[in-house]
Amino acid sequence: MLRALADPHRRQILRLVQHGELPAGQIAARFTLTQQAVSQHIGVLKSAGLLTERREGTRRLYSLRREPLGSVRELLAELWPEALSRLKRAVEEAHPRHSGRDA
Amino acid sequence: MSAEVHDGIVIATEHIQAAPEVVFRYFTDPALLTTWIGDLAELDPQPGGQFDLVMGDVRCRGTYLVVEPPHRVTFSWGIDGNRALPPGASTVEVVLTPDGDDTMVVLTHRGLPESRIEQHRAGWEHQLTRVCRT
Repeated sequence: MLRALADPHRRQILRLVQHGELPAGQIAARFTLTQQAVSQHIGVLKSAGLLTERREGTRRLYSLRREPLGSVRELLAELWPEALSRLKRAVEEAHPRHSGRDA
Repeated sequence: MSAEVHDGIVIATEHIQAAPEVVFRYFTDPALLTTWIGDLAELDPQPGGQFDLVMGDVRCRGTYLVVEPPHRVTFSWGIDGNRALPPGASTVEVVLTPDGDDTMVVLTHRGLPESRIEQHRAGWEHQLTRVCRT
């Protein structure tokens, strides 16, 4: 969730829908990004549990999700493994092993 | 790459292809810490020293409790303005164990409250409203 909130475009999407539902098209129209990029941001916000999606015919409507999802524990149980994977990447990129592995 | 949740405890582990001496600095040097978590850090890595981390709009604050290079570092952890998890409320212990030339990282986050995200979310929404005004 912290990652989802860290991006300014995603924060703007949440701001747009905080007072009511908006269709995907109207959200995308507010950005200079491609529709695909906006859809990706929406996807991140949905999986972080910050956006609710509702379908009406062929339209998809989004609103700010307000109901509780899980506990603080569950939130951190998600945050720490993601953070440690980034740590692994950061360390291994900055300190590459020279020789191949047991080659 | 995995996490377990027990009573108020979250345990996450990772295997890293570098020595503990290398990995340890990623928990005590602000420039290295922010390569994997948060955007801005102010750290004073000694017992009683500050652990201050800005992650997006959320500010995590705590204090280093144990600093034993290159094997163990512990700090308290909480979120400014969050009733469910105020600064200093919980503790994070990081243990680095050599595994050949590599390091096994075990991160244990203790003292996490039962509270649901609703409370937590109130904090996010407060932060959001604040961001939305600017």
